[in-house]
Amino acid sequence: MSFMGFLLSAMALAAGVGVVWSRNPLYSAFCLIVNLLSMAGLYSVLDAHFLAVAQVVVYAGAIMVLVLFVLMLLNLKAESGRKLGVVRPLAAFAIGSWIVATAYPSVVDNFKKVSIHELQENLWRSEGTVRAIGEELYGRYIVQFELSSLVLLIGIVGAVMLSKRKQPAIGPRPGGLGGKA
Amino acid sequence: MTSMVAYIGVSLVLFTLGAIGVCIRRNAIVVFMCIEMMLNAVNLAFVAFSKLQGNLDGQVAVFFVMVIAAAESAVGLAIIISVFRSIVSVETTDAAQLKW
Repeated sequence: MSFMGFLLSAMALAAGVGVVWSRNPLYSAFCLIVNLLSMAGLYSVLDAHFLAVAQVVVYAGAIMVLVLFVLMLLNLKAESGRKLGVVRPLAAFAIGSWIVATAYPSVVDNFKKVSIHELQENLWRSEGTVRAIGEELYGRYIVQFELSSLVLLIGIVGAVMLSKRKQPAIGPRPGGLGGKA
Repeated sequence: MTSMVAYIGVSLVLFTLGAIGVCIRRNAIVVFMCIEMMLNAVNLAFVAFSKLQGNLDGQVAVFFVMVIAAAESAVGLAIIISVFRSIVSVETTDAAQLKW
């Protein structure tokens, strides 16, 4: 791992810890932005240039703006006084160490099966430039590419339907928050 | 090769952090962000394996994951907002109307 890879990995991991640990959801969101940006740097280190740009634009740009927008809209305070308890963090730690302990040995084993020769040959061959990704997307993956536009359309329609009010609010609604205007 | 193992390790730890966050956090938006982090960890593994194998299929898969994540974030946040409208809270423990 190069120096940049090491630095960016450390940043991503530290920001990931920040997402889980900070009490204020706003700080979590900012930590997640740092995490996503350093992941974009990691993609760039791994020669996936198009994905690095797409990560910055789509994740750190669009999705995180949406999340921050919702956070500001709901105007949440820091997590309320109720304690986290003992059971949940312990269970989470158990699940986490179980995942790592199960997955890591199998990953390393699988790496041992790949021959070094093949690797040296492969390492320079895959460069994810816009052109290369575009040729893949519009060549072999054209059906999936078109279907993904359908998924986005369904997502838009679903989001609009979910956030639409059932009836137009004329007076203040009983119980709900929305009817103040 | 060792460097690729390191990238997979980073991806694994990030995924685990996301899973832990989903387990212990109660704020629905933070849970949502932890899910995004898990998706990103898998994306990193895809890119590392794509580099290792020398073809671009992994990167195309990451592209599709990004598309799904965008759609998911729009729908998920809309669900969170509509839950907030009905129970005035985004804590996952407060949305317990169906509990017997």
